[in-house]
Amino acid sequence: MLANAKNWSNLPVSLASRNGLEFSSLSSTQLAAALAVIKASAGTGYSMEGYEKFQTIRAADDYLGTMQSGYGSGNYFIAFLGTPSATGNWMLQYGGHHYAANIMFNGGTMVSITPLHEGVEPHTGFTVNSVTYTNPLTNNVTGMQNMLGSLSSTELSTAKISGTFSDCLMIPGSTTNTMPTVKQGIQVSTLSATAQATVLAAMQPWINDVDSTQAATIRAVYKNELADTYVCYASNTSAVAGTPSSFLTAATDYVRIDGPSVWIELCCQNGIVIQNQIHYHTVMRDHSRDYLGL
Amino acid sequence: MYRISSYSSSSSSIFIRRLLFIASFVGAIFFVPLHAMAHQAPYTAVFLDVSPDRVGAEFQIPLTELELAFGHHITADPGTLLERLGPQLKAYLLLHTHTYKNKALPWAVNITNMVMSKEQQIASGPPFWELRVNVMLVPRQNEDTRRFMLAYDGVVHQVINHVIFVAVRNDWETGRSDSLTSRSDPMTIRIGSDNKVHPLEINIEKGNLWSGVKNMVGLGMEHIKTGTDHLLFLLVLLLPSTLVVKSKRWAEFGGVKYSLKRLLKIVTAFTVGHSLTLLLGATGVFVPPSQIIEVLIAVSILVSAIHALTPIFPGKEYYVSGGFGLIHGMAFASVLYNMQLYGKILILSILGFNIGIEMMQLFIVALVVPWLILLSRGKHYSIIRVTGAIVAIIASVAWIIERISGRPNVVSTNLQPIFDQGIWFIIGLACIAVISFLYQKRRRHAFI
Repeated sequence: MLANAKNWSNLPVSLASRNGLEFSSLSSTQLAAALAVIKASAGTGYSMEGYEKFQTIRAADDYLGTMQSGYGSGNYFIAFLGTPSATGNWMLQYGGHHYAANIMFNGGTMVSITPLHEGVEPHTGFTVNSVTYTNPLTNNVTGMQNMLGSLSSTELSTAKISGTFSDCLMIPGSTTNTMPTVKQGIQVSTLSATAQATVLAAMQPWINDVDSTQAATIRAVYKNELADTYVCYASNTSAVAGTPSSFLTAATDYVRIDGPSVWIELCCQNGIVIQNQIHYHTVMRDHSRDYLGL
Repeated sequence: MYRISSYSSSSSSIFIRRLLFIASFVGAIFFVPLHAMAHQAPYTAVFLDVSPDRVGAEFQIPLTELELAFGHHITADPGTLLERLGPQLKAYLLLHTHTYKNKALPWAVNITNMVMSKEQQIASGPPFWELRVNVMLVPRQNEDTRRFMLAYDGVVHQVINHVIFVAVRNDWETGRSDSLTSRSDPMTIRIGSDNKVHPLEINIEKGNLWSGVKNMVGLGMEHIKTGTDHLLFLLVLLLPSTLVVKSKRWAEFGGVKYSLKRLLKIVTAFTVGHSLTLLLGATGVFVPPSQIIEVLIAVSILVSAIHALTPIFPGKEYYVSGGFGLIHGMAFASVLYNMQLYGKILILSILGFNIGIEMMQLFIVALVVPWLILLSRGKHYSIIRVTGAIVAIIASVAWIIERISGRPNVVSTNLQPIFDQGIWFIIGLACIAVISFLYQKRRRHAFI
């Protein structure tokens, strides 16, 4: 089952098959039922988060589909690994090109909400099928920008890692793909109270992508471990200390939050379908909870 | 020294394999359609060709990732990159390539070739460029190549998420041949849990000279067995070899002695021809572009097939089979040349490989010739000869088009599975021969 669970990807569906049922193969009743499951899991408690974010990322694929074949909201999947029950251990997967949710339930409670992959192209808002959308990762990007913008130039130089990222480090798949045990960057406990608050705030747009009641335990863990959490970033060559909007603006601009449990990274990549502009990839993992119970 | 390559079918199949592999790496895939390659392949592949006295390595480095480590905006004009920045790229690669058993005694590292390879993506999007580099790694005296450290950190020293996949493509001693496919479990060079990149230990099972030569013989046999075009050429050439020519047309059976003599001459001439170019090609003296050779091989089938229809060079079959032997030998040579062998090992390999080719060829001749001799005594042999020649003409024309255009066509793709069942063709031939022989014998009895 772990091998199946690791079958998630950030590649277009045509390049990397997913587990489960493809939306485009479902009847409208079936699709409504599948979306109802996802809505209950992803939650609707926060604006632009949870289910709304999932649906907007799907719409972004429809937008890409108007420019290049192979993309579309129908190329999304839902899968149940194990037998869904209120008592046992089972996993819910849903996603497609730029979304991959892997949620473990045990005894009717979410015990793991990672790995979680979210991405979007274009990097701006967009209009498709006569509906105009705000970029679905706006909160994620803004949260990270505010966090980096709250660091002094001295703190920024401590937080900086010298390499380059062309994508997130924790790309899907491969068993050799393990998180670094040595943390890089600046420790949150050394930051001002204001800056510490921005780190905690920056994590929320990912945690908020599952039902808030269910996510409460995990949210509390990440908050309790905040002092031992590290922030690092790479590239961001045009960034100005104290100016949040100057961060995460160009290809290879990268940021990471790495705690005892939490791992969140966001990378700006070159556009794939829309050349000459960036697009976002993000990965959330958990050092001890990924695929929990598998 | 540097050249821009226009790659033929072999490298595009490597690219497809690579894409398959990459897609499967990302998701433990069971089914991967080959359309919509929207995402570029951001990984480096390193193929090792291990022989007893040296290790050849081929690095295939995606340009978009290399740019992040090397700079110079190399993705802007990849076509002229090697002319502009060849020496700098070479220096960069040498800086990041080290091999050793004992770190204090590093091996000699020589870059033998660099080419830019451009693959057209099927889906829209920019062309996918990669730099292909051949490196020769030579151990210290008295050191073997079975176990060593590969300290290559090109790109990954800078691009933290970059992954280098390493596969032993050829191992001379054991015949091991890994490919980067969805089933292989390749070695990787990537950032470790301590955020550092560590050298990769290459540790290959021990073999010996004898098993190495045996592998080469096997490789030679395999090459004929699976090389449909070589086989077809040979068969078509043999098709009219038992007949005599009368008034510029194929006439009756020329007798067993006549047939065997001619067969022997044709096969010997072919062997002499391909042995010569195999030697020249494998040693690197004469390495013509593979695409031209592949086209010429298809032409050789076409010419012999026409000859099987109507004698266009009667009595001169030896020159023709010898001449075409030269061409087929160049294709055989590319197999060995790509394994990057030298010296004694190369000589042993050419010998073993050629013995394998010869054994397989003689085996097939022995398998087919008795039935040809039996059948060509009969009045209806022309049906078999003409049918065989027409099939060969259709196949060879399809191959000529495929190999010039670089794209498979309806005929070539549909014929391949039929040719793969070649053994049934020979069994069928044997059945027809035996039945017609018995039938004729009975008729003769009936007259008495």
